[in-house]
Amino acid sequence: MNKRWLLLVILCLAGAGFVIFGVQHGQNREAVPLPAKPSRIVSLAPNLTEILFALGLDEKIAAVSNDSDYPPEANKKKKVGTFWQPNIEAVIAAKPDLVITLWFEQQKAVAETLNRLGYRVLTLKTEKIEELRTAIKKIGAATGRKQQANELVKNIENQFSNLQSKFSSTNKVKVLWVVGVENLSVAGRNTFINELIEMVGGENAIGPTVSQYPQIGAEELITCGAEIIIQSAMGTSNIREQQRAAEAFWSKWANLPAVKNNRIYVVDSDLVLRLGPRLPQGAEMIARCLHSEIYTQE
Amino acid sequence: MSGIIEVENLSFGYMRQGLILKELSFEVMPGTFLAIAGPNGAGKTTLLNLLCGLLSPNAGFIKIDSANIHSYSVKELAQKVAVVRQEFVPVFDFTVTEMVSMARTPYLGIFGFESISDREIVNEAMEATDTAQFATRTLGSLSGGERQRVFIARALAQNTTILLLDEPTSFLDFKHQVGIYDLLKTAQLEKGKTVVAVTHDINLAAQYADVALLLGGDCSYHIGKAEDIFSLEQIERVFGVKTFAGKVGEGKFFLPLGKLAKDSSIITANINKDEKE
Amino acid sequence: MAEILTSKNLVIKVSIGLAVLAVIMCLCALIGTQKISLEKALAGPGDKPGENIDYEIFVGVRLPRVILAALVGAALACSGVVLQAILRNPLADPYILGISSGAGLGVIIAVLSGVSFSFWGGSPIAAFAFTGAIITVWLVWFIGHFTGKSQVTSLLLAGVVINAFFSAVIMFLISIAKSQELRSTVLWLMGNITEKDFSELRVSAVCILGGIIGLFTISQKLNVLTFGEEEAKALGVDTGQSKVVAFGFAAFITAVAVGLSGLIGFVGLIIPHGVRLVFGPDHRQLLPLSAIIGSIFLIIADTIARVIVAPAQLPVGVITAIAGGPFFLILLARYSRKVSWLK
Repeated sequence: MNKRWLLLVILCLAGAGFVIFGVQHGQNREAVPLPAKPSRIVSLAPNLTEILFALGLDEKIAAVSNDSDYPPEANKKKKVGTFWQPNIEAVIAAKPDLVITLWFEQQKAVAETLNRLGYRVLTLKTEKIEELRTAIKKIGAATGRKQQANELVKNIENQFSNLQSKFSSTNKVKVLWVVGVENLSVAGRNTFINELIEMVGGENAIGPTVSQYPQIGAEELITCGAEIIIQSAMGTSNIREQQRAAEAFWSKWANLPAVKNNRIYVVDSDLVLRLGPRLPQGAEMIARCLHSEIYTQE
Repeated sequence: MSGIIEVENLSFGYMRQGLILKELSFEVMPGTFLAIAGPNGAGKTTLLNLLCGLLSPNAGFIKIDSANIHSYSVKELAQKVAVVRQEFVPVFDFTVTEMVSMARTPYLGIFGFESISDREIVNEAMEATDTAQFATRTLGSLSGGERQRVFIARALAQNTTILLLDEPTSFLDFKHQVGIYDLLKTAQLEKGKTVVAVTHDINLAAQYADVALLLGGDCSYHIGKAEDIFSLEQIERVFGVKTFAGKVGEGKFFLPLGKLAKDSSIITANINKDEKE
Repeated sequence: MAEILTSKNLVIKVSIGLAVLAVIMCLCALIGTQKISLEKALAGPGDKPGENIDYEIFVGVRLPRVILAALVGAALACSGVVLQAILRNPLADPYILGISSGAGLGVIIAVLSGVSFSFWGGSPIAAFAFTGAIITVWLVWFIGHFTGKSQVTSLLLAGVVINAFFSAVIMFLISIAKSQELRSTVLWLMGNITEKDFSELRVSAVCILGGIIGLFTISQKLNVLTFGEEEAKALGVDTGQSKVVAFGFAAFITAVAVGLSGLIGFVGLIIPHGVRLVFGPDHRQLLPLSAIIGSIFLIIADTIARVIVAPAQLPVGVITAIAGGPFFLILLARYSRKVSWLK
């Protein structure tokens, strides 16, 4: 019996060793000095690419993620893998002196590895509109374009406040933003989509929820009283068909004001779901959906 | 000279049932062939499991080679007692040689590799049981009788003084049953092993065993020389069935006859005749 | 296999295996989405990062991955061998006794408790996965022991029950989760070979190789254990102690593997069978050879996963499943004719 307990103790100690030493990596790295003006930048997400271009860094961009498609110049850049799975080898092959990544697990892992290998990495969180402003400023600071960054932020702010003031006096419109149709999930109140909706005089038809993108059931749906239903399109190729399909789908809920008044919109999601410099345009697009009367009058 | 197996006042019962064995006492001298017989549920297999250390008695004790059975480590006991249960096909297909070599487990070093002498012992055991011809075949490809011989080869290779067998011929055919018993008898006579075999087959037991232990099924038991224990009166009483006894050479054979058996009417007549003889 | 295994025979086979493994490791480290050459890579790092790309990619990206795949492959294959032996079940795999759901729960708890956002410099997900796995295994052992004296059937049942229960808890936690991060860590669980720090690899190597050697010392007893509890005892094997050692070490190396790379399936199930088909069921050679072939298998699978849909990557579990699935069917067809337990 004694032998077994001894064995167990040894195993636990070894396990503790694994836990302690295994987790300690990355703490003793020296920070690589930042070049004042990086000239070979790699961006791992489309919104980050847009920011870089907006700051006038076109020539300094060495490579971008596969799905960086705006502005059109981005398509000519070398590609380093998808948003979900950046190809670390391709990143290295681009010989970057600055790599900009997003904050979620897969990109964080790549960022860590690059960091460990001695590359300068900037990891940004872009989940809220506030964070977009911070991200732009940080990129500006890292690339020596502080002034341009501040201007960009101001520009975006202005567009936002314009929209906000335009619709501050109108009645709040109840909006249901559909993220997925299969298991019906919507954007909740804790998302930046909601921020945009509220900015242009809308109100989320769904009350506060725990989850950011909750699945909602038929009961909730029937009683939510949505006046507008917006669905983000999957791909931009066949928006017309998606619009038709959406209308057919929603016809089941005939009691909803949105269905009665045929206020169902399928929109190009890049403008809205990409937290980048074009976000104000996205906000405007949402405004058009909510306040179609105002816009047709103009 | 004390027995190599000593059982004293052994009592045992499974948890929720009553006692199966009560105050059982007997001694087995080295080099004898003991047959354990009795009706189903009498405790034959239980006794065997007690004798190989798998079960612990509720009361009393068992001594192997003058030391209490539970004072031996599993390894030490395996060097003294080998067990052969009913043959089966293992999950993974080991060859016959690998299987018989496993008998050397209690003697192997830390990494478990057989030495030259281990291999010689294994070869000898396989020769003795006529299983050397199957050396590279897998157990699954053998017949039941051949497999049982392999299991016995393994027990022999274990080089123990005591061999315990649980119904070694249960599923074997007419010919192979005696083959096995011949093998066991040879091991006893030529190597001086003590053989303890639990068996259903009274007749074969009567032909091969020196000593017999008859468990009555009601915690009663009788032990003694085979010819004394295997008597018509004992058999009929313990098994509760009308039996025909006949003589063959120096031994006897027993044939249980049911009511509808063809020759059931003969019993009474012949039994009377036997008793007179 | 005409003769019994001798130690010399085994040493020769293992040496050849290790040589093949080394060659495969080098070859696969040279394969990837970017073309690199060995000479350039061996030229050294250069003054600053970005100087010698070939070196960066070879040493910084490929080599750690190949080493990790080797370690995880070996751990899973050995664990599979051992569990199949003590459970006497050819369908056992390393995750059967609760490790998968335990690791999953550990990971979910790690993310939920917000620990992954404190800047430890590293992801504690590995540590939580490992801890979760170990605790769950201990729980299963305890329940199995408690209900049936740790006999095989009660262990299996306890494992199934725990797996089911923890999976339900995991699903519940995911569905009420606030943020989307939880969903991406579910992806982590699906099994991935990633580029790790060399110090982490070193510690893992010590743990896994130590565990495998520990298992090797009881490999002869494993042979005997496959015949059943009673038979093993009759042959002098202390079954209780052997099972604890086997189970403990196997669970340990599996937990380390899961902590490193999530749940990669099929390796622990298929490799032992494959090696057994070719070399026979003697665990003294089955164990080390399965380790080596498990390593080779996972290295190759990872290499394929890396390049086949470049520049994206497939999770390595997809490749192991694609290779493993059909192989398993063939195995089943062969076994059902041979083995008695299926009759």
